[in-house]
Amino acid sequence: MDTKEISGEIVRVENVRKIYHDNGVPVDALRGINLTVSPGDFSVIAGPSGSGKTTLLNIVGTLDKPTEGKVFLDGEDVSSKSRRELADIRLRKIGFVFQAYNLNPVLSALENVEFTMMLRGIDAGERKRRGLVLLEELGIGELANKRPNEMSGGQQQRVAIARAISNDPRLVLADEPTANLDSETAVKLLELMEKLNHQDGITFVFSSHDPQVIERAHRLLILRDGQIVNDKVNK
Amino acid sequence: MIGRIAWRNILRNKRRSLILVVSVMIGVIAMILTDAFSVGMMQQMLTNQIGADAGYIQIHKKGYQLDPVLKNSITDTVPVSRVLAKDSSSCNISERLRTFGLVSSAYNSAGVSIVGIVPEEETNVTTIHNHIVEGSYLSNKPGDILISTATAEKLRVGLGDKVVIMASRLDGSIGSEACRVTGIFETFDSGFNQTHVYIPLETAQQMLDAPGRVSEFVVNPVDAKKTDPIAVRLESELPSELEVLTYKQMLPILVMQIQLYDQTIYIFYAIIAIALIFGIINTMLMAVMERTHEFGIDMAVGMSNRRIFRMILTEAFYLGIAGTALGLIVSAAVYIPLSHSGWNLAMFSESLNSLGVGTTIYPVLGVSSLVNTTVIIPVVAVIGAVYPALRAVKLQPVEAIRAS
Ligand SMILES: Nc1ncnc2c1ncn2[C@@H]1O[C@H](COP(=O)(O)OP(=O)(O)OP(=O)(O)O)[C@@H](O)[C@H]1O
Ligand SMILES: [Mg+2]
Repeated sequence: MDTKEISGEIVRVENVRKIYHDNGVPVDALRGINLTVSPGDFSVIAGPSGSGKTTLLNIVGTLDKPTEGKVFLDGEDVSSKSRRELADIRLRKIGFVFQAYNLNPVLSALENVEFTMMLRGIDAGERKRRGLVLLEELGIGELANKRPNEMSGGQQQRVAIARAISNDPRLVLADEPTANLDSETAVKLLELMEKLNHQDGITFVFSSHDPQVIERAHRLLILRDGQIVNDKVNK
Repeated sequence: MIGRIAWRNILRNKRRSLILVVSVMIGVIAMILTDAFSVGMMQQMLTNQIGADAGYIQIHKKGYQLDPVLKNSITDTVPVSRVLAKDSSSCNISERLRTFGLVSSAYNSAGVSIVGIVPEEETNVTTIHNHIVEGSYLSNKPGDILISTATAEKLRVGLGDKVVIMASRLDGSIGSEACRVTGIFETFDSGFNQTHVYIPLETAQQMLDAPGRVSEFVVNPVDAKKTDPIAVRLESELPSELEVLTYKQMLPILVMQIQLYDQTIYIFYAIIAIALIFGIINTMLMAVMERTHEFGIDMAVGMSNRRIFRMILTEAFYLGIAGTALGLIVSAAVYIPLSHSGWNLAMFSESLNSLGVGTTIYPVLGVSSLVNTTVIIPVVAVIGAVYPALRAVKLQPVEAIRAS
């Protein structure tokens, strides 16, 4: 066990600002965000369109850099890391689920899950075994050999979740994972993530403006105009 | 797994991949067959020249090469024959007396090289006996003459007609002889045809009042590869007033042309390589740009730039290998039959004859050309993918993901 885990903080965001330049016009996407995520959290970032949810998740996930402020992952300041180091951090510590088109279209469900394990150097037999177990656990074992275009949106999102957790990440970031799903499928996907959070202790941070999703959040962060206006724990 | 992904991405846009594979294939075929036909043509030019007249080795009196006149002929052939006797089993030998002169009919006359030969000996050394188109090959009968179709046409004579040959003797007087046309020849080399007539050696010696004299000995090793060592040995054993020349010295322009070719072929390779590189850059760039979103996801899940780069190069490499393999198969299918039967270019025969090639070209594929092609082309494919791959890894993850 390393000290950072004992400190109980996976993510620490300090005074993060993000200014985009849209044709020379500065856009304040985030204005001074402070936030911590602890192991086992199941947090939802809610807020209207354009409030900065995607920007925040991308910065936490090291896909984008803040204009000001700092992001710590497991106590480590990521602002000075090279692209290569960041890729490695994402590989080891973060799982991503995007709104849609998460999967590599030329790979089967199983291969998509295996892909990230391959990047970590897990050998073929082991990753196949683990991939199948994961797909089974997420209720899509029978889709292992299907390509994304042969799957429904909900099934694709499940594969994306399986891939996101395949490397035992510290944190799964999901940007509106249910936005493209009908409400029934969305609820099921959410229940699945809750189960993974509850049973396996996987930490989730996701964004949504779907009331069904928001009401299930253990912790709800509300963003407005690039600021956290509310941070409360449900239940 | 990267290999598998690369293959699937290739198969994803079959039409585009096919175009690329076909252009690689065409590059390979162009490289192999152009080289094979060029080499074949040049070797034929050389062997034709050697076979028509020069032979592999010639022995002259020193100075004959620069000034091929009667005065510079070999007076005493005995020491030469003695040295050559040792080579009688490994070499074919003939002796000739040649001079410049005039061949005339009632109608016209032509300046030619009059070559006195020993007909039986000459058949072992040159191919002139294979090129008789009318009448028969030269016999030893005094007064017979073998002329070419071109000369026959110019003089308006045919088989059995009389012609008169004339040339300076040693003392400056003019020797002449009336001859009967008993054979008409035609080789691949139109220049050669216009300038050569053959008579028996003894007739030549009589006409020129040069008994026992010979301008040259032609020595053809049975194994042509032994030309150089045999020439070196003859040089050391023969009297010092004689010189030994190999075809390399006798046909320097042709030999130089062949050496020069070895260098110019690389320019040709470079042109094909550059054309291919641009084709690959163009196609791979399209393929990469279409997959921007995918690369964004790859980056998000932790694929390093190095791996993305390598994956794109792998795709190009596979395309290169596939195109090369197909190109080799097609080249072999064209080359193998043609290397036996030759490629008949009768329609270009006039220009080929002026080059001294012959109307049928037998391609010759060298190992180096095969190796060059199979190595160069896949490497070229990979080089062509470098720029598209750089473009892919320069993408910012967030922007790439946002791309649809
Ligand atoms: N690349 C960019 N260039 C310029 N402005 C940007 C860029 N990305 C985001 N923005 C702006 O930053 C602000 C926050 O955008 P962001 O995408 O984070 O919002 P969001 O909460 O995810 O919205 P949505 O619910 O529509 O996904 C918006 O005003 C948006 O227009
Ligand atoms: Mg968003």
